[in-house]
Amino acid sequence: MTVTALPIWMVDIIGAVAMIVLAFLCIRHARQLCRRDPGNVIWTYLSWVSYCLAGFAVSRSAGHILKQLLIFSQHSHLWKMVQPYSGSINTFLLIIVAAITLFFSRVWRVYQQITEDQAVLTQTHAELIDLNETLEKRVTERTRALALSEKQIAQADKLASIGQLSSGIAHESTTLWASSWDTPSCCCATSKRITRPAMISGSLKNMPKPARVSWKICSISPAANRRARMPSAFTTSSRRCWCSCSTIRAAAHMIIEKDFAADMPQLTIDDKKIKQVFINLLMNAQHANGNRGKLKIVTRHDVRAGNVTVRVEDEGYGIAADDINRIFDPFFTTKPTGEGTGLGLAVSYGIVKSHGGDISVTSRLGQGACFTVTLPVIDA
Amino acid sequence: MTGKTMRQKRYWIVVVAFFCLVLPPAAGATQTHGDPEGLLVHQASHIFFAFSMGLLIYWLRSRGLVRSRGWRWIQYAALLFMLWTADAFLVHTLDELSGWIEVSSRGPWEITIRTDGSPFLGVLYYLAKLDHLLCVPAMLLLFMGIRELNREEGVKEEAQ
Repeated sequence: MTVTALPIWMVDIIGAVAMIVLAFLCIRHARQLCRRDPGNVIWTYLSWVSYCLAGFAVSRSAGHILKQLLIFSQHSHLWKMVQPYSGSINTFLLIIVAAITLFFSRVWRVYQQITEDQAVLTQTHAELIDLNETLEKRVTERTRALALSEKQIAQADKLASIGQLSSGIAHESTTLWASSWDTPSCCCATSKRITRPAMISGSLKNMPKPARVSWKICSISPAANRRARMPSAFTTSSRRCWCSCSTIRAAAHMIIEKDFAADMPQLTIDDKKIKQVFINLLMNAQHANGNRGKLKIVTRHDVRAGNVTVRVEDEGYGIAADDINRIFDPFFTTKPTGEGTGLGLAVSYGIVKSHGGDISVTSRLGQGACFTVTLPVIDA
Repeated sequence: MTGKTMRQKRYWIVVVAFFCLVLPPAAGATQTHGDPEGLLVHQASHIFFAFSMGLLIYWLRSRGLVRSRGWRWIQYAALLFMLWTADAFLVHTLDELSGWIEVSSRGPWEITIRTDGSPFLGVLYYLAKLDHLLCVPAMLLLFMGIRELNREEGVKEEAQ
């Protein structure tokens, strides 16, 4: 069949020019990519492919154009001389593009590995810088914490010394008062229907103040707290103790919120002493709240740490930062003169410490206070 | 090096020396490369190129790179390059290896295509000669793909 060669000729010439132009545009963008990130092997791969395809396009397309021009100008013999060279270059470049592409997967995997390693390195570097920058700050914080704990140890020593001294004095004065004041008769005067905490506080109230102070001072002494401890169902014990809450609620317009843990264990404690601690904390909270607001009691059992905690939170006037370190000191009170002896918390501190536990307080002025008693769970 | 290895090495030196000295034409002759060899190498390069483009498409897809628009266009470029190389392979085969087609020029604007068999072969040959209709779009897509990747990188840089 005889057909027109014009479409073939036109597509050949226009296509050849387009191939060369596009190949060089590919090189331009591939080079820009390489400049953006010179270490990126993927861009290196793309630029190699672009270079090889450009070489292929030039060789092939220039060959095609030359062929058409030479045939058109009746110089076919010249084209026969050039053709093998053009064809060889085409073959060579085609094989290079194919070979580079075959390595693309390996290149990609290596690049991924490099990127991951680089990310890890960057993160480690950032962490190191952070550690360097915050080292000084951390040292300052640790030093401050150390100074605080030293202060607390000194406080404990001071309390122990004061306790021993004052209990000695108190013992002598209690003996004197005992001869002139009969406690059992006072207790007999109280009704049987009164709850035990109320009875304790009632009997204390009936004591003359100097005798009450002496009795409380005696409680600070470790010797006074060294009584026989019996296994006690903490829940029952504490619940009985919290009965005083009813008394408090009756006397005041307070909301008492109880959050008791269900799994409270048996503790080896001096039941009466521990109740005294809770009564002290409750009465302090009532006083701080000014007979209104909310009082929260929370009990928790930490099986892993092997202890129980009791938290008494109030919404009262709180404790000033200057006073908080002295709150457990004997005779220190924030109450007006005549209203408090300043011995309640000191006694509580002595009792809790003698049980191997701890008592602490957190507070902000005007935002209430939270007393936490921690007692160890010791198998009977 | 152990004695056994040394003995093996000496043995091979003796064998090679024997072939070089006793059979010089077989051992030292350089193979000649005749006329169809260049065409066969060129055809092999087309097959190799088609295979590599197929592999590129597979890798791009399996690594999930085609989620990016740039790589997706490069994938289409690879597909068109495969079609083009198959087309070029066909034209070379019909032109120079099969002997089924004979083309002669009847002036600058006309050609005569003679076929041994079906006239359909002539039409197929004529269409296959327009191979730029495949390789130019392939190159255009490759360019668009690389340009898109370049643009994406630029956006990433600006974001940083």
